[in-house]
Amino acid sequence: MILWLARSAMVTLYPRTDAFPGIEDMDLDAYLLDYKRECATVMWIGFVLGTLLYHLTPLLTVLVPLPAFALSERLQALHAERLVSHPVYLVRQPVFLLKMVAGLRWGSDPRVRERFALAPYPADPGTRRLA
Amino acid sequence: MTHHSFSDRNLELDVDYVVVGSGAGGATAASFLARGGATVALVEAGPWRDPADYPSSTYGAMRDLFDDWGVGITRGRALWPIVQASCVGGTTVINSAICVRTPADVMVDWERDLGVGGEAFRDAIWRHQDALEAELCATVVPHEAAGLSNLRAAKGANAIGYDNHPITRYAKGCTGEGQCLQGCSSLRKQSLNLQFVPEVQQRGGAVLSCAPVERVIVEGRRAVGVTGRFREPVTRRLGARFTVRAKKGVLLAASVTRTAPLLMASGVRHPLLGHGFRAHPGTGVFGVYDDAVDMNRGATQGWASTHWRTDVGMKLETLAIPPEMVASRLAGSGALLLERLEEYRRMAMWCVAVRAEAVGRIRRGLFGEVNVSYGFGRPDMERLRKGLVVLAQTHFAAGARKVVPGVYGLPYSLGPDEIGLLENGPLDPRAYILVTSHLFGGTCMHGDPSRGVCDDQGRVHGYDGLVIADASVIPSTLGVNPQHTIMAIARLFTERLLDA
Ligand SMILES: Cc1cc2nc3c(=O)[nH]c(=O)nc-3n(C[C@H](O)[C@H](O)[C@H](O)COP(=O)(O)OP(=O)(O)OC[C@H]3O[C@@H](n4cnc5c(N)ncnc54)[C@H](O)[C@@H]3O)c2cc1C
Ligand code: SF4
Repeated sequence: MILWLARSAMVTLYPRTDAFPGIEDMDLDAYLLDYKRECATVMWIGFVLGTLLYHLTPLLTVLVPLPAFALSERLQALHAERLVSHPVYLVRQPVFLLKMVAGLRWGSDPRVRERFALAPYPADPGTRRLA
Repeated sequence: MTHHSFSDRNLELDVDYVVVGSGAGGATAASFLARGGATVALVEAGPWRDPADYPSSTYGAMRDLFDDWGVGITRGRALWPIVQASCVGGTTVINSAICVRTPADVMVDWERDLGVGGEAFRDAIWRHQDALEAELCATVVPHEAAGLSNLRAAKGANAIGYDNHPITRYAKGCTGEGQCLQGCSSLRKQSLNLQFVPEVQQRGGAVLSCAPVERVIVEGRRAVGVTGRFREPVTRRLGARFTVRAKKGVLLAASVTRTAPLLMASGVRHPLLGHGFRAHPGTGVFGVYDDAVDMNRGATQGWASTHWRTDVGMKLETLAIPPEMVASRLAGSGALLLERLEEYRRMAMWCVAVRAEAVGRIRRGLFGEVNVSYGFGRPDMERLRKGLVVLAQTHFAAGARKVVPGVYGLPYSLGPDEIGLLENGPLDPRAYILVTSHLFGGTCMHGDPSRGVCDDQGRVHGYDGLVIADASVIPSTLGVNPQHTIMAIARLFTERLLDA
């Protein structure tokens, strides 16, 4: 459930545009599962909080008493924009974490890198010296 | 060549010295002890990653190299990330290898105010720095590897007329891949996993990786070894226990945020343990140019200015960051954010590191977690603001069309006529996103045992055989990048141990 909610928030944060693919085009489900498995516990807790905050606060931002995932695309975009620039620090910080985790995936996509004249990243081996 | 990594079989070793932490301080100390003929075990909490294991992406760097994904934060009015590595070679694997000598004025202050050092100390630090520069190939970033961002910074600074210079780094033939944060897989950067750690092995020492030390074994007032349990870096599963007993001494170099808490966990007592945390927190200003700058081509960091190091208290540097980091750094979301990101190729990021007067404290929490309380007061905020203004002016002098200051409450971008907004920008730390990466203190040196945790040989007051050999002993900010100072201090302390 939380991954589904996170996915929905991320798709709004990094949508498809004329210039770029959206994060939804980037194998997002697999990425979120990897992230959940690999990240530090504190980071996961912050991520869950950020996701819940994102979905539970449209009343604060667009004055609609619905969770963010139930908003129209236009209202969700407005909600996201108002949340990442919210005047209350403790509201915008957890969403910053969500935006950062999404940005890590979006910005390392080969199509985005190509657009910036950067070679694709080779896969991260995740290996270490054993003996 | 002995390397013990994660294991389900208990391990017991007997050596002359055990060194905890294999970063700038620990690897340097261990290799120097091994050169002196001692048997050494170097114990590292993180995994050993060779260049073939290095990640390419920032996600991979956070997962494979950073200490706990870089989630450490300073707790004050604002929450600023503390970035450090946890792997064999420590933070030298992810840093930019900038090499700056310990400024004389810093050591004069230490002698005058704290009773540490003196002329012989100063000469010894610089003697070791001469040797380290030769061993680690300290070289000025070659012009052909500088990249446009670094060259434009020089152009802007020269147009304004303040002192600036290309950076000297421990890098042999840097080709400007801009991947320092992920580890330099082209083997140019002389991080200590490639240099001093292998030397420890070649000289008969042992290296333990995935081996976080839980406590120093103290018998009476004497440190006699360390113990802990292996930990698998991905699953974090605990393995068997390791115990290293050291006949001659225990050296701690687990970093500023880890050394003091480790002493606390070991029952070592001193009223100032964890005190004196200091840092050079920093942030950047993007300049947006009419043509492509491609900041990721060229040395990650190739230009600096120490013009305001002593009077204002700040250092300026270039810093290349990849698209995935810019994506979260720029304000906004959705289509607006992506429109801003379209300018990535035309952006150059230059940073200010504040030589902050703020002093914080490191504590060990109930579950062994590390808490760092630290925050900027008004004077440091003014330094920060001054730095951002100079960076903006430098961008404009270098031809930028606009700057993106990344300050909450200010417009997304400012033109040359709008620098006044930055000059009068907010003084609330929460309006800024700073990163804390140059850390000092926690077990500061002081000539008076009641006013510092250790003396100017790193020996913990009141204990035998217990020496600190990392940035934790540094009792003030330096105003320059710290690795060179940390390594020289580590060598000096071990030289004195060997002489004793
Ligand atoms: C991104 C970045 C860029 C930087 N760039 C520069 C630069 O260009 N030039 C410069 O001079 N400085 C730079 N610095 C700072 C510099 O790298 C650090 O100041 C320096 O490495 C600190 O040395 P240290 O020995 O105190 O700790 P570290 O180098 O951090 O090493 C500490 C080691 O101890 C290990 N450890 C921790 N706890 C335990 C335990 N319980 N048991 C066993 N091992 C443990 C850690 O895993 C780590 O590997 C940079 C820092 C960062 C984060
Ligand atoms: S800039 Fe590139 S080649 Fe130079 S040291 Fe860093 S990663 Fe290596």
